[in-house]
Amino acid sequence: MKLHEKILTHFLSCTSPVDKEGYLYKKKERTATYHRRWFVLKANLLFYQERPADRHLLGVIVLEGCTVTRSKSDGQFAFSLVFDRPGLKTYRFAAVDHQTQESWVKTLLLASHCYLSLLVRDLGRQYEEAKQQQGCGESFHSSSGSVLQQSTTNFSLLVQNPTAVVREGRSSSASSVLQAPSLPTNVVAKRSPKLWPRRNAHVTPLNGPMPLYGEWPLVGFDPLQEFSKLHDYYGLEVKKAREEWLRRRPAEKEHSDKDLIDLG
Amino acid sequence: MRFNEKELVSLSRQPSEMAAEMGMRGPKKGDVLKKRLVKLVVNFLFYFRTDEEEPIGALLLEQCRVQKEDNQSFSIAYMDEAERKYLFECGSEEQCQKWIDSIVKASYEFMRKNLIYYRTEIHRLTGKDPLEQYGISEETRFQVTNGMQFMPRDTSSL
Repeated sequence: MKLHEKILTHFLSCTSPVDKEGYLYKKKERTATYHRRWFVLKANLLFYQERPADRHLLGVIVLEGCTVTRSKSDGQFAFSLVFDRPGLKTYRFAAVDHQTQESWVKTLLLASHCYLSLLVRDLGRQYEEAKQQQGCGESFHSSSGSVLQQSTTNFSLLVQNPTAVVREGRSSSASSVLQAPSLPTNVVAKRSPKLWPRRNAHVTPLNGPMPLYGEWPLVGFDPLQEFSKLHDYYGLEVKKAREEWLRRRPAEKEHSDKDLIDLG
Repeated sequence: MRFNEKELVSLSRQPSEMAAEMGMRGPKKGDVLKKRLVKLVVNFLFYFRTDEEEPIGALLLEQCRVQKEDNQSFSIAYMDEAERKYLFECGSEEQCQKWIDSIVKASYEFMRKNLIYYRTEIHRLTGKDPLEQYGISEETRFQVTNGMQFMPRDTSSL
């Protein structure tokens, strides 16, 4: 079967994120010896070459249909990629220390397209539910609590990740709905995006109402062109906060109705 | 370049919703339209001679531009090069559009962006990071990275 190599090498060298890279020892089955290789993990593809600067790629492993196991019998800090079907391979690796081993094991467990697909579907469900929660946040909904719990439980059962802490808990939106109706404003995070670490506003879609799953992201959209929309979008939060502030002010004093600063 | 061929062939045999016979033409001059069984599995497009068990080849559906061509055809192009443009002729306009949508959505990078969007929005709406319950909130692959660029020439969004 032909695997179009140029397409793969182009993917490796392009600007899409590198999910992990580093040295590992890879076992050559024929000679039962380990060779140090430089590995680059991108999406569900594990590329390897002799050294980081090498132009020549030695190979690639497509990470679908495999599990990751720690192998004590293979020596220290060893782990394997096991393709479960009859006649299929097991790739054996060894790391230099425990931390490196754990880091690779965890990352490889989450690398498959199948896993991402499940995770996106689950989050898509949670997103729809969170939107609905916000829409009718002022009234009391007892049925949505159980629906939310069910969606989180479904995904956690599918995850076979021994290192992940799988907690079966309700999301915060469920618990706040079951409290007194005066609390729904707490459900909406009032923090501006910039306070959340590692968040890049450019990734957030910019068109007003949320696009349906599958319609986002926009192909080739340029955040700089849309900045005014981004500005308006985050400005809604400011507007809301201001309205609330005005609402809470005591009504007796007349001058409180005027802006303290004349914004023209 | 070595690759796990047997495992990839095994992958190509997985059931898929998107599998159909269509005309396929390679990018090189002199390539002609041939009838192939085309099958979408994860982010690969496998193509078989009809009635053969092992695929002839596999196209990785990352960093490519998928677009509608005349009639009921679509193309997949890599690196904006004409020598890397594959043409597919479907049975109907509807089928053609369905394939385009499916291929775009099958890209790992497309799915990753969706994930980051949902994560961001759920956090904004509920104050909670939805990845925390799975113990994966610190994983680099689910962060918004600086490596993503949105220059017009970059086709990574497809």
